[in-house]
Amino acid sequence: MMLKKIFISLLFALVASSSVTYASEHVAPAEAPVAEKSAYVPKSLSELAVSFWQTTGINAFFDFNDGETTSEPKGPAYEKEMNWFESSLGRLIMLLIVFVLFYLAIAKNFEPLLLIPIAFGGFLANIPLAGMGGEHGMLGIIYNMGIANEFFPLLIFMGVGAMTDFGPLLSNPKTALLGGAAQFGIFGALVGAVAIGFGLQEASAISIIGGADGPTSIFIANRLAPDMLGAIAVAAYSYMALVPVIQPPIMRALTSKEERVIVMKTTRKVNRLEKLFFPILVLILAMFILPESTPLIGAFTFGNFAKESGVVDRLSNEMQNSLINIVTIFLGLGVGSKLAADKFLVFETLGIMIIGLLAFSAGTAAGVLMAKVMNKYSKEPINPLIGAAGVSAVPMSARVVSKVGSEEKPGNILLMHAMGPNVAGVIGSAVAAGVLLSIFK
Amino acid sequence: MEVSLVGESLKFMVLGMTIVFLFLALLVQVMKLQAKLVGKYFPEKEVVTTTSKSAALAADDSAKTAAIIAAITEFKKNKS
Repeated sequence: MMLKKIFISLLFALVASSSVTYASEHVAPAEAPVAEKSAYVPKSLSELAVSFWQTTGINAFFDFNDGETTSEPKGPAYEKEMNWFESSLGRLIMLLIVFVLFYLAIAKNFEPLLLIPIAFGGFLANIPLAGMGGEHGMLGIIYNMGIANEFFPLLIFMGVGAMTDFGPLLSNPKTALLGGAAQFGIFGALVGAVAIGFGLQEASAISIIGGADGPTSIFIANRLAPDMLGAIAVAAYSYMALVPVIQPPIMRALTSKEERVIVMKTTRKVNRLEKLFFPILVLILAMFILPESTPLIGAFTFGNFAKESGVVDRLSNEMQNSLINIVTIFLGLGVGSKLAADKFLVFETLGIMIIGLLAFSAGTAAGVLMAKVMNKYSKEPINPLIGAAGVSAVPMSARVVSKVGSEEKPGNILLMHAMGPNVAGVIGSAVAAGVLLSIFK
Repeated sequence: MEVSLVGESLKFMVLGMTIVFLFLALLVQVMKLQAKLVGKYFPEKEVVTTTSKSAALAADDSAKTAAIIAAITEFKKNKS
C-alpha cells in the first residue's frame, strides 16, 4: 500500500513538473543543440526524470502541441509538423483499425499472409517519436528499398508466376475472356473517380484497385499518383482479403439457382509443351501490343517459364517459396508504414476506399454477366459463377467461386474451371495497367 | 471542365476495354492454335515413358539386389 502511494505521488510530481518546465523550454529551444555538443553537464535526478518523461509515449499522446513532425521515407526535407489530431487521437484510431485488421486476419482468416505484416507495420508506424517511417527508420528503409522504386511488386509477380499453373486456362481457352470482362471494374471506377473530382492520373491509379491486384496497384500508384500510394495499397490489399465477403452476395444476386448448379465438363489434359510455350507466347503478345505492360508481364512469365521448363526447379522453388515470402514480409511492413495517422486519416482515403469497393464489385459483376452471356451462346455449359474469378486475386477468388458452387450443389467442384478466368485476370489487369501507363506517357 | 474530364475518362474506358479484350481474344486464338499444333506434331507419349522409366528402375533394383545377394553369399563362403 505504502509503495503504491509513493509511486502515485511521484507520478503526479512528474506530471506537474513537466507541465511547468514545458513553458520555459519553449522560450529557449535554441540552447538545446548547443548543450548537446558541449561537455556533459551534471543533471539532477528531477531533471533526468523530466527529460525522460518527455520522451515517453504517454507524453507524446497527451501533449498536443509538441511540434512532432511526420516521418517521411524521402528524408527530413519533406517532413511537416503534425497537427493535434495526427499526433494524438488519430493515432489511437489507427491503433484500433490495426486491431480490427489483426482480428480479421487471425479470427476470420482473411489473407493473413498480407494483413498481419501490413497491420503490424501500421502499428509500428503509429508509435510516436520513434520515427520508424522516416528515412532511417526501419519501415522507411524497407519502403525505400523496394516500394518507392516498384521493385517488390515485380518480385511478387515473379513468385506468383512460378506458382501459377496455366493448365486450366489452356484446357479451356475461351474462359480467358472472363478475365477480360472483370477488368471493366477498373475502367468503370476510373469514370467514377473522375466524376467525384479526382484528377485523371489519380483516378487511374485508384481504379486499378478494381483489378483486385495488390502488386499491380502499387506499381501503378507509384507511377501515376505516388502521394496516394499508401491508401491505394491498403485498399487493394484489404479488398483482396475481403474477397470472401464481397463477392458471394454479388454472385448470388446476378445468377439464378439453375445457373449456379450447372456442372461443367471435366477439363482435358494439357500437353506439357503447351504449358512450356504459353509464357513465351504471352510475352511475345505483350511485346508487340503493349510494351508498357512488360515489366509486370515479363516478371510473371519469367516465373512461370522457370517453373514449366522443368530444369530449374531450384530457382522456381525459390521464387515460389522463400523469395515471395521474404518479399511479402517487406511489402507488408512497407505498405503498413502508410497507415500512419497523418497519411491515412485524410479525406481522400475515404474516397479511395469507396471507389475501390465499387470498382471491385463492378469487376465481379461484369465477370459474372459475361459468363452468363457465354453460357447462352456456348456449346458446352459454363457456370456463370466462374466469371467472378475474373478479378485477379489469385487463387482467392477461384476458391470462393468453388465454395459458393459446392454450397449450391454439393460435389460440384468448380475450382479448376475458375482458375482459368482467375489467371487470365492477372494477365488482364496487367494489360489494363499497361494501357493506363501508355496513356500518361 | 469536369464534364470534359468525365468524357476523357469514358474514352479511356473504351480504349482500355478494347485493348484488354483484343489482347485476351488474341491469346485465346493463339492458345487454340497451339493446342492444335502441339497435338498434331508432338502428341503425348507419357504412358510409354513412365512405363519404361519404372521398368528401368525395377531392373536397376533387381540388379542391385542380385549384387547384394552375391556379396553376402561370397562373404558367408569366406567366413565358413
